Amino acid sequence: MKIFNVFIVIGAVMNCVACTEVLPRQRGNLAWPQMALTPDALEFGLRQHTSFSKEAGGGGYGGGGGGCGCN
Amino acid sequence: MKASKKNNIIAQLTCAALALPGIVQTAHAGRVEETYNADFQYGLYSESDNRIEVNIFEGALSAPIGKAFTLNVNLVRDVIAGASPVYNQKLNGKVQQLISGASPNSSCGASICEQRDAISSGLSYFFDGGSVNLNGGVSKENDYLSRYVGSNLSLDLNKKLTTLNFGGSVSFDEIDPSVSPWAHTTANFGRIHEDKTSQNYLLGVTQIIDKDSLFQSNQTFSYSHGYLTDPYKWVEVEVAAPGFSFSLPIEELRPREKFQWAWLNQYVRHFGELNDAALHLDYRFSMDDWGVDSHTFEASWHQPIADGWRIVPRVRYYSQNSADFYQPTFSGQLTSDFRQLAGYSAYSSDYRLAGFGAFSGGVKLIKEITDLKSINRLSFQTGIEFYDHQASYQLGGNSSGDFANFNYYLFTASFNLKF
Repeated sequence: MKIFNVFIVIGAVMNCVACTEVLPRQRGNLAWPQMALTPDALEFGLRQHTSFSKEAGGGGYGGGGGGCGCN
Repeated sequence: MKASKKNNIIAQLTCAALALPGIVQTAHAGRVEETYNADFQYGLYSESDNRIEVNIFEGALSAPIGKAFTLNVNLVRDVIAGASPVYNQKLNGKVQQLISGASPNSSCGASICEQRDAISSGLSYFFDGGSVNLNGGVSKENDYLSRYVGSNLSLDLNKKLTTLNFGGSVSFDEIDPSVSPWAHTTANFGRIHEDKTSQNYLLGVTQIIDKDSLFQSNQTFSYSHGYLTDPYKWVEVEVAAPGFSFSLPIEELRPREKFQWAWLNQYVRHFGELNDAALHLDYRFSMDDWGVDSHTFEASWHQPIADGWRIVPRVRYYSQNSADFYQPTFSGQLTSDFRQLAGYSAYSSDYRLAGFGAFSGGVKLIKEITDLKSINRLSFQTGIEFYDHQASYQLGGNSSGDFANFNYYLFTASFNLKF
């Protein structure tokens, strides 16, 4: 799985063979609310809080925020 | 009517909200939100077998300040009631959880009655080529106080096709367990007061692949030290004595340090031919020096239906292996005060440190209204998600039995106003 991640990152970013020049006037589709990485921030925050309280794995989604005595 | 497309593309290159009620970054480079933004969300979290139930009330406000600043504030209140597993008992060779029972003095009729209030705030400054954000917050419960500060930096490169994200935060926590039959105590059986400090760092890149797709890859590093034990969790120890054996519960003990690393990859794709639907795919791997590796797969499909409606089904699979110092029950010798396990530096039977997997699925419905006179946009959301935790769902299998299995549902309803 970790090797798989490495190839995804290299392919999409470093080499960017799949990346094309996207002019500003062509970026309309990327601006839809449903295209946002986090379309609903409050709901996302609640789901992350729930995962943090019930699972030992975590991270990746940014920031740290504070802690809680969640049981 | 088509949903509003007024959001600039840059607004979508976001590195997502903080894990706990903190700051939501609505945009990075080039301030996009020229409107005020108000959100209110209600959530209901309810576990099986009358365990934990939480009612969540949250509000957030974001305002443009001057030409290049955005200020946001978030308030949340969690009202928590219910019961929680304390330790595992082995009876007739079978392991079962002991769940905390209500005490006669309970204020809410359950063994756990708690309220958490948190406030957080952030200020973002947008400049040509990027943005910087400063944020902080406080979260308070009867037995836990957390204060944190953080900062994020985003830099646009490559004609704004690529965004680099850097984040860091530090949290200072104080733990004062409430008076309860299961609260840990000091050597003299007094109330404990402990501290914990956590640092979190993020390195990420967001890349526009083509006019219909983008990709984000983040690595996060977190280091915690101080009191990391759960002050309400115990372990059962079977002690062998000459001619007989007996079992008794003792307070659990965790290491005083923890380092965790995670790598998240997210892919988002637009499908114009399917009414501007969008597919989101996430994979995250995490590992820590307590021995817990985890895999998370998540997929959601965002489908606009007629007239401002959108439906979003979602599935998620999570799997983790157990921590190095986890066992369902222990056997060994105790220290002379009968309060610690001899020869072990850490020991826990917390179900959250066991090996398990979890499947969850949910659906959300969104309605956007954009033809109101004085309001830019009003949207309503409601969703329900069901989550099933079972040992046997662990990747690679797990034969430890179903004693720790549970499930929960999470209901949310919210509205968002841009004005």
